[in-house]
Amino acid sequence: MSRSLPSVWNHLLIWLRQTAVMTLKEFVQLGKDRALLLFVLYAFTGNILLAGGNASRELNNANMIVHDADHSAASRDLIYRFQQPYFRFVGEVPDAVEGMRRVEEGQAMLFLDIPEHFAQSLHRGTKTTDVQLLVDTSRATRGYLASSYSVSIGSAFSQDWAGQGAASSGAMLPAIETQTRIRYNPALNEAWFSSIGELLVMMTVMCILLPGTALVREKEHGTIEQLLVSPLTPFQIMFSKVLAMIVVTLAGTALALFGIMAPLFAVPIRGSIGLFFLLTALFAFTTAGLGLLIATFARKAAQVGMLVLFIVMPIVVLSGTFTPRDSMPAALNTIMTLSPLRHFIEVAYGILLRGAGMETLWDSVLAMVVLGSLLFGLGMWRFRRQLE
Amino acid sequence: MNVQRLLAVAYKELREVVRDRISFLLTFLMPPMMMLVFGYGMSQDVEHVPFVIIDYDRTALSRDYAYHYISSRYFAFQGYAENERSAERLMAHGDIRVILIIPERFQERLLAGRSTQIQSLLDGTFTVPVRTIRGYIQAISSEASGEMQAAYVAQHAGIPVEQVKRQAQPLNIAVRYLYNQEMRNTWTVAPLLLMMILIWTTPLLMALSVVREKETGSIYNMYASTVSRAEYLVGKLLPNIGFSSINVVLLYLLATVYYGAPFKGSLPAFALVSLLYVVALSSLGLLISLLVRVQQAALLISIVLAMIIMEQYSGMSAPIQDMTGVNYFIAHLFPAMYYTDAIQIAFLKGGGILELWQDLGALAAYSLVMLLLVHSLFRKRVRA
Repeated sequence: MSRSLPSVWNHLLIWLRQTAVMTLKEFVQLGKDRALLLFVLYAFTGNILLAGGNASRELNNANMIVHDADHSAASRDLIYRFQQPYFRFVGEVPDAVEGMRRVEEGQAMLFLDIPEHFAQSLHRGTKTTDVQLLVDTSRATRGYLASSYSVSIGSAFSQDWAGQGAASSGAMLPAIETQTRIRYNPALNEAWFSSIGELLVMMTVMCILLPGTALVREKEHGTIEQLLVSPLTPFQIMFSKVLAMIVVTLAGTALALFGIMAPLFAVPIRGSIGLFFLLTALFAFTTAGLGLLIATFARKAAQVGMLVLFIVMPIVVLSGTFTPRDSMPAALNTIMTLSPLRHFIEVAYGILLRGAGMETLWDSVLAMVVLGSLLFGLGMWRFRRQLE
Repeated sequence: MNVQRLLAVAYKELREVVRDRISFLLTFLMPPMMMLVFGYGMSQDVEHVPFVIIDYDRTALSRDYAYHYISSRYFAFQGYAENERSAERLMAHGDIRVILIIPERFQERLLAGRSTQIQSLLDGTFTVPVRTIRGYIQAISSEASGEMQAAYVAQHAGIPVEQVKRQAQPLNIAVRYLYNQEMRNTWTVAPLLLMMILIWTTPLLMALSVVREKETGSIYNMYASTVSRAEYLVGKLLPNIGFSSINVVLLYLLATVYYGAPFKGSLPAFALVSLLYVVALSSLGLLISLLVRVQQAALLISIVLAMIIMEQYSGMSAPIQDMTGVNYFIAHLFPAMYYTDAIQIAFLKGGGILELWQDLGALAAYSLVMLLLVHSLFRKRVRA
């Protein structure tokens, strides 16, 4: 005998009301902790503001000292090309030893050593003239930029010099010029990249930590026993925690996006905003499932802490927000496809900056759905088994 | 301060941690494991940049030009694309970062002695590597251009190609790298992981150890006992500093022995700085523990705070000197930037106590101020 329709309807209503009450309980519990609430608020507002306004990672006024043993028009021309905003000429030194000492002491980042007879050698043109450039690379990224810019300056100088020579002899050489266009963020506004990245990191950490710690807390206090003797199913207990955190995450995201990023940093929202929030909810669900799964492995908050660190840190650091994932080892790149953030990065930057829609993002979305169901299902399974 | 009572608190704390086998193991297992994962995977190199080429010319010269990019270790060739539309779809999905477009009549124009223009489209979403990629493209393109010019002149004037090349490239800037000769990224990253991993683990464990007592109520024993506030705080600090110091040693060994990062400075001076860093981080953890009531909050605040400090205020990704206004100020409020500086001085630059004293002083002052703050905020009575 199947149940009559009104009875099914009644059960559904009761189920929904129970879940709503449980979700409300999670909110009340979260609201009780003033420090925690304030901190969550800060993570989505002030923190995003500061991250977006943070220093640029461009090479800025890298101090350069020069030893010019030639003092010719050509050597001055070369020095003059190392200009602001990338480089800043901070003075000349009498000899190379002094120059190296200054770089070692951190007074300058680059030391350009122009040899004697520099102009003469260029004019003669029988062999390539070498100029030494010493770069402080204790910070690798800036070191790369400084050396790459210097080499460009050198080749531009070369081209002009060769061009002059060719022009005087009346010949015109065919050249391949490169025209570079930058898509999606033509002005290379760092605030766009870093504020979105920071938002993604905060979402990930909150979604894993809040439900995970909430579950362990009930275990540690023994209040989980009370919930189990109530008419709630284990699914309802877990789902309510996830639901509460999805709401918190969505609210935080809306606050960050409309309160800080769009008005203050002019972060464009090129795709569908509805799709963005829908997929944010999906991402929150996926990562919350991960948090709950972790919580089933731990009995104490300290254990959750260490486990979370071990899971969250690689997710955050290696998914591609901090460091470009292209240069990571291939095996690790494959493993990282298990990270929900890795897929959400494509979705978030895709919708906000690249104006992508479902037709390009579908595979990332599919990956998140599969991962989310797996994580939540696995967490449910372990949770149920522990209760028996 | 009574030393006996202090040691009693420290001993009790030690027993408590050692008894919880899982947590105890995790305390020492996690930091080295993180070091292994990050040292292996974290790289600031810009290499293997995925790109496609749209070749509208399809001639020997255009393929020759394309080969300059395909054979470069900086780029990872993903194939030829039919047109800009299909290439841009790949870019919108994040599969490629660069599209190179070789125009029609590329070979024809060059052979006729006229210049031609290559277009490159770059994905500007991740701003940090874009500039480096732009530099690579310029360098490769001008190299290819120079070779083509040399071949052109050699053919027309009947001089050997080598000689023309020298004339086309009159100047060479020979770049030498100080400290990190081979630009080995692991050498830069591995020592910095000391700073990074400690900031995640030390404040967290410290904060939890006090909040746990608050949550379970066992802190009332302390409220009612003769133990003074200072004795309790220092007693709590000591085991935690001990554990973190062991971790410093483990991480240092991994960085130098396993990753082979050169350590050129003075070891005793660096050990002292590291100890002060651990003390500073522990006092930060104590401060967090005073502000919250439950472990959930302590966990969340320590982890998120660590994340924020690492990303923004550690000087690891963005140099502190380049910061402006508020951020520059905030960076000085956390111990990470001093230790980052100390690591760079001690590891790469071979500095000793004379070079490290500023960071040493800053960390010592920081710890002192934090501990005094914690001591004045800590109350032996229940908040209403």
